[in-house]
Amino acid sequence: MEIIANYGDILLMLAVAFGLFMAWGVGANDVANAMGTSVGSGAITIKQAIIIAVIFEFAGAILAGGEVTATIRKGILDANIFTDSPHLLVYGMLASLLAAGTWLMVASNLGWPVSTTHSIVGAIVGFGAVGVGVDAVAWGKVGNIAMSWIVSPILAGSIAFMLFRSLQNLIIDTKHPFDNAKKYVPFYMFLVGFVISLVTIFKGLKHVGLSFDLSTSYMLAFGFGLLVMLVGTLIIRRIHVDPNENDDFHFTSMERIFSVLMIITAAAMAFAHGSNDVANAIGPLAAIYSVIESGGLIGAKSALPIWVLLVGGGGIVFGLVTYGHKVIATVGTGITQLTPSRGFAATLAAAATVVIASGTGLPVSTTQVLVGAVLGVGLARGLAALDTRMINKIFLSWLITLPAGAMMSIIFFFMLKGMFGA
Amino acid sequence: MAKSIIDGLFGKSPISPLQHHMTSVHSCIAELKDFMVAIHAQDWDKAEEIRSKIGDKEGEADVLKKKLRLSLPSTFMMPFSRRDLLDLLLIQDSIANLTKDVSGLMINRKMTLPNEIFEDVIELTSVCIKTSATALKAVNELDELLETAFGNRERKVVGSIISDINELESESDRIQHVIRTKLFPLEADLPPVDVMFYYRAVEWLGELADAAQKVGSRLEVLLAK
Repeated sequence: MEIIANYGDILLMLAVAFGLFMAWGVGANDVANAMGTSVGSGAITIKQAIIIAVIFEFAGAILAGGEVTATIRKGILDANIFTDSPHLLVYGMLASLLAAGTWLMVASNLGWPVSTTHSIVGAIVGFGAVGVGVDAVAWGKVGNIAMSWIVSPILAGSIAFMLFRSLQNLIIDTKHPFDNAKKYVPFYMFLVGFVISLVTIFKGLKHVGLSFDLSTSYMLAFGFGLLVMLVGTLIIRRIHVDPNENDDFHFTSMERIFSVLMIITAAAMAFAHGSNDVANAIGPLAAIYSVIESGGLIGAKSALPIWVLLVGGGGIVFGLVTYGHKVIATVGTGITQLTPSRGFAATLAAAATVVIASGTGLPVSTTQVLVGAVLGVGLARGLAALDTRMINKIFLSWLITLPAGAMMSIIFFFMLKGMFGA
Repeated sequence: MAKSIIDGLFGKSPISPLQHHMTSVHSCIAELKDFMVAIHAQDWDKAEEIRSKIGDKEGEADVLKKKLRLSLPSTFMMPFSRRDLLDLLLIQDSIANLTKDVSGLMINRKMTLPNEIFEDVIELTSVCIKTSATALKAVNELDELLETAFGNRERKVVGSIISDINELESESDRIQHVIRTKLFPLEADLPPVDVMFYYRAVEWLGELADAAQKVGSRLEVLLAK
């Protein structure tokens, strides 16, 4: 207790610094994967991608980021263990932030496809199990998270498969794909707006102090969906068939309609990513804040202060602007096989999965979910060639990331313990 | 900067290299008509020039073939089976090989065609080239097929191109038959070895059309799934 009282301010400052570091890493690397499909399909430019990412990552973090933050803050560790030694929790969370941030940087430079989510969960489990005691980890909850890492890519893949199939039946494989695209794409726009806002209203908004009853929530989501649809339809209306564009079916003209849809979907993806991955940085920060603010009380019920979310959102944006644009550029120029229609199916499926996971408070790996979604489109015979070697690589990087994050957080944990006293 | 995961997920599309290969093959067989004319005019310099052009183009196709084969690791997940794709490639390549063989044989033997069958041989050659052109057209539909994820409508388009190929092939059979009926009464007046090779040349030309037809039927197999 004295440690918290004596060093509270310094610890909190450290937490903000490490939190920013971690958020910077998320913005610099992860966002690129989230936005890569949109840029790669040629639907949006890199500049547009960055603007969309800045706005919607931030919005996602603030409006819908609360639930996952809560899981990382108190779901992974058993709070009762820390009642007598709250400073250990503070050390541990500091160590986790630093460990995950460092690992993210090292691995990205080596070109390993690590996940920010895996890093932070591994780090928290690591210091908890070794630094404090095996009982300190809420293994049931960790098991759930681990399960979701397998379930979420499969879910995203299935959604992507079905979405692409529906596009195929309604639009692409018809006599007049262009006309049908004009007719049906607005409904997909509605779908994007509806799903995203519904989950946000249900699960996210209570963290910023807003809550609605069930019917109002549905009405609001419906309204937002309609708004998205309306704006989208207005833009689509200005697209016409270019007679010079190849052959009978006007696929090229059709894809321009999908480009508009893709911008909306890219925004949804950025939103989803912000809502899920910002928690990786601010979850530990929020935990530290609540311990220090309550003077060492673990169970204290404290609302998530808005400035913590701002630190996370700001850090992500900072990372994106300083470094992420380079990564988006490399990703964006590489993917030539994704047309806007395929990119749409993959990205929306991934976004929907991530938003739903965020709503239930599960930290999922955005990258894994995206990979699952891309595979789903491939299975629907939508892509010329997918290299399945990448799946092994991702699996391997996942296996390495957990112990690596854990190991580093254990080391940092004992260092902090030595510096500030046990 | 590290390569992205999503980026790494995409393999190199085999479709456009396959189309390149077929384009190269077709440009090879397209030379054959001028070659026949030069042969008939006994313009051996020109014929030799065209033959070496055919040889170059066949070599070009070979390079493309090898490249495509090497860029298809078994870890690729594709909308069609790897084996069907490689079979198609092999058949496409056989058109270039046959073209090279026919032109080689004719120039080595300094084969002049009897006037009676010359017109028909030229027509047969034209039909062969047309069959190959139609096969190329079918192969070029592959990216549209991918666009529709092998949907029914686009499949029908390819199906109708393939039936065009089949018709052309029957046409080539018919011309072969005509040439052989015309050759038979001439047999007695011509040197026997020459006659033998006339039959052989006609047969090989027919095989060219067959090979182009096989490209079509392989495509059908590719789509059948």
